[in-house]
Amino acid sequence: MSCFEGQLAGWMSPALARTVDTSQTIAQLVAEYSTALYRVAFSVTRNAAEAEDAVQETFLRVLKHESRLGEIRDYRVWLVRIVWNIVLDKKRRAKTRPENEDVADHTRTLPSGDRPADAAVISSQEHARILALVDRLPRREREALMLSAVQELTTAEIAATLETTESSVRSRIFRARRELAVLLEKEGIPR
Amino acid sequence: MTLERHTGTDARHAGEIDAALRALGTATPEPGLEGRVLTRLAAARMQGEPMIAGPAWWRRLPRPVMPLLGFTCAGILCAGIVAGSVSHSRHNQSGPVPPPVMQMPGTGVGAASAMHPAAPASTPVPAGTASRGHSSRRNSKGRARITPEAHKAPGVAVPAPDSNLPPQ
Repeated sequence: MSCFEGQLAGWMSPALARTVDTSQTIAQLVAEYSTALYRVAFSVTRNAAEAEDAVQETFLRVLKHESRLGEIRDYRVWLVRIVWNIVLDKKRRAKTRPENEDVADHTRTLPSGDRPADAAVISSQEHARILALVDRLPRREREALMLSAVQELTTAEIAATLETTESSVRSRIFRARRELAVLLEKEGIPR
Repeated sequence: MTLERHTGTDARHAGEIDAALRALGTATPEPGLEGRVLTRLAAARMQGEPMIAGPAWWRRLPRPVMPLLGFTCAGILCAGIVAGSVSHSRHNQSGPVPPPVMQMPGTGVGAASAMHPAAPASTPVPAGTASRGHSSRRNSKGRARITPEAHKAPGVAVPAPDSNLPPQ
């Protein structure tokens, strides 16, 4: 190795080390949060492929802003906000086309348990009808309710994602559930 | 009453709502999601640029830049209008213009009778040879009246005085 090459390696080593560091950080973020992000995306899209696309796009944005990774205090909230904005943006753009929501997606989401297949399909249809009623709720209540469905998220994290207070999130969820119950009563969901 | 009804409704449907939300919130991705995400990230890194479409160039500008850009454009436009107007007015003043000095006539009347040197000289309008000063007067009925004593040329018939008219 010549003297110049040695010097070049000396200059490049901090940059290379930083690239390796950010790559490792991103890989850790993928391993830790991809499932939670998928659930957040799925709560809006209700479509497995679209939810996975949203997760991939989230990490592409992370890669784009990898230089800012050191400034982030709470990775979970940061990532949830990114994926939340992505799916809402997609939904807004695709408002004209019909919902690509199918029973198979819901069936996949159900805990397998030991129920017969028919019961599982009926249950998924009931869930689909309830989720269709969720879409009729006011935007704020609907968003709070959908994020509350993701078990990994605390009320504080939902509040940070929606840029509001925890008490506001709680009252929105309460109102959403009450409205949903009234809608269910009117629609007469079969049991 | 309403509260009771709502409470009862909530209690009846709480289980269904919880089950639907649980189904939504416990969705499981296809196995190997992490691997697929990492593969796509590696591909994006190899390309040197993320594969997502960035926002339009004007959206990437810092927020205060757009109003500043607007003000600058408006300023340039105003300066252009002023410069064009000045150049146009200078272009119209091609010939030498006499200085605006008011010359007083020899009689020394007032400033109101002063003449601008650039103004055309006023000439008196001559009176026509056949013209005469006249005035038109009408009587109360709008008809001309000729009195019997009026001077008339010989051989000209004069209508008899109208008895309906009052004597003058």
